[in-house]
Amino acid sequence: MLTRINVGPIHPSTHGVLRLVVTLDGDTIVDVEPHVGFLHRGVEKLAENRMYMQSESYMEKIDYAAPMAYSDLYVAAVEEAMGIHPKERAKYVRLILLEFQRIASHLLWLGTFCNDLGQMFTMFMWTMKDRDLVLNLLQDVTGSRMFYVNMRLGGVSIDLPPNFEEHANKLLDYLEKRFKDYEAFLEKNPVFIERTKGVGVLKREDAIALGVTGPVLRASGVNFDVRRDYAYYAYEKLHFIPQVQTRGDSFARYKVRMQEMKESIKLIRDALKLMPEGDALGMPIKLISPPVKESEVIVRRELPRGEGMIFMVTDKQRPYRLAIRAPAFINLSALRYIAKGARYADLFSILGSLDLVMADVDR
Amino acid sequence: MSDERFENAKREMEQLVVDSLKNYKAPVGAFFTNLKEATKAIASGTIRWSRKNSLWPMQFGLACCAMELMDFGSSRIDAERKGYLLFRGTPRQCDVMIVAGWVTKAAAPEIKRLYEQMTKPRYVIAYGECAVSGGPWWESYNIIKGIDQIIPVDIYVAGCPPKPENLFEALMKLQEKVGGKIED
Amino acid sequence: MKIKKEELIEKLRELSSNGYNYLVKITAVDYIDHLEVIYFIRNMQNKKEENVRLDLKNGESLPTVIEIYKSADYYERELSEMFGIAIEGREVKRLLLEKWDGLEAPLRKSFQWGSDYKSG
Repeated sequence: MLTRINVGPIHPSTHGVLRLVVTLDGDTIVDVEPHVGFLHRGVEKLAENRMYMQSESYMEKIDYAAPMAYSDLYVAAVEEAMGIHPKERAKYVRLILLEFQRIASHLLWLGTFCNDLGQMFTMFMWTMKDRDLVLNLLQDVTGSRMFYVNMRLGGVSIDLPPNFEEHANKLLDYLEKRFKDYEAFLEKNPVFIERTKGVGVLKREDAIALGVTGPVLRASGVNFDVRRDYAYYAYEKLHFIPQVQTRGDSFARYKVRMQEMKESIKLIRDALKLMPEGDALGMPIKLISPPVKESEVIVRRELPRGEGMIFMVTDKQRPYRLAIRAPAFINLSALRYIAKGARYADLFSILGSLDLVMADVDR
Repeated sequence: MSDERFENAKREMEQLVVDSLKNYKAPVGAFFTNLKEATKAIASGTIRWSRKNSLWPMQFGLACCAMELMDFGSSRIDAERKGYLLFRGTPRQCDVMIVAGWVTKAAAPEIKRLYEQMTKPRYVIAYGECAVSGGPWWESYNIIKGIDQIIPVDIYVAGCPPKPENLFEALMKLQEKVGGKIED
Repeated sequence: MKIKKEELIEKLRELSSNGYNYLVKITAVDYIDHLEVIYFIRNMQNKKEENVRLDLKNGESLPTVIEIYKSADYYERELSEMFGIAIEGREVKRLLLEKWDGLEAPLRKSFQWGSDYKSG
């Protein structure tokens, strides 16, 4: 006999507003059907009515756990449409700020993932404190804690302050010690291992056929990362290695993100050493922007949740069509295939390990 | 509509009791009426003091402002030191609803149902510009322009997103309102 | 590459047997008298990407590609409700605008802003 349970829109464990209708046979899941659209506000339509640089603050509010990554994606698309190249020092500055943003986003994911598994609030308090320290550093550079709007055409709006390097190195030393604490806390814990090893296995061929991206794809054994394959800014000079695991379960997805945070620390240290002197400021925002040269633009970036892409058809002063490929949208569609045959209590372990932000799904 | 009728009825009953006690001509009648009014004052003051220092919020982060709400509850700006304990999952045990994030036409009936499920006395804080007036999405086709078109709001906090210290000050103002210092 | 609507399924089958097995996105652009639908497909071995474009007149329907790429489900549902394109071959339900019966095809240029805006 099949029963249906409604995991309603307002729920402590769905990150945002997501409604799942779960069909159960005893304790085994037969089908999961997500209902989305509770946060849809039509960003693609709104951007057609604004000038180019006015939509930058809209793009930040799509993924609010890592806002600078989306704003960088959009400004890079506009720069390519106008034929402007970012300055040399600006490439390194953008890379450093983006990698800090990636650490902050993964720390937030770790805290809420452990909340979902029932480990109430210890990991959450630790990771939110560390995330606060990273956000304080970003506030010193850009002036705001959460919505920065600091990317400009050709560079950034404010250059790094003079004592940034020693503050950043101190923070990175502290974070390395804390990551050792996190691993010692979680990886020998029998409850964590029971709840994540062997749960929600996604094989390699299924991962490619379902179109998932980001850490979910790399945890299933596919060696693909936009930072190496379609390289941008200064990643070729910095010896970047994508982190890949082969198991495909929730533990592998946790391990990929943990390793990515450590890789980000290495990248920031190398970039601080190799950064050239000079000027990193971009053009200030004016009412009439420079003339547009290309009619169609495609740009890809590696966001903390996966691979994001913008396809833009340009008009004279505003975009004619802005198509955004959001990574969480397609990761959510794979939930149905992963959760088939699992127990009901494993549903939140799988849902948490996919790292969804519902405003990214709905746009 | 029915609340006003109950309040009228309550007032009439109280008036009846006080009137009947006034007509009671006993030698210690005055002492008893004064004692009754004294206990009423002390009791209501105690009730107000205990209510304002233990407001329990409902976990209601919809969008970006939920990130700041999580920061508000964690160790740097501690919300627990003002009695603002334990974000609860169910509306039956809560006093305050903090609406953080934009509200779309698909989510609006759920929010109204949750507000009606909270037990009285209940308060609402509109946190962030999207809940105050629609925010940056005021031109969109799917957004309700301000949460006070569906439910009554007590305190508005402006900002995008407001810093958690702003929410702390809003909380202290709400405590003054619950304690009776600010008139409704 | 630009193809006609009738050649779509065989072209995608040929590409997916040549190693182009990862569908990145299906999107559409509204030029007012016709629509242009674009499929972005990627080869995971040598990391090359291909876009397949086709033109649709207003009111035509699009064949479904779900047997070739399993990830086309959500993309086709979003496309059909945002642009008003009918998908032939399977039944598509609304994804992002589920309870919103009065709204038809918001991403088309003919959808007026002021039709839903109330002041005050």
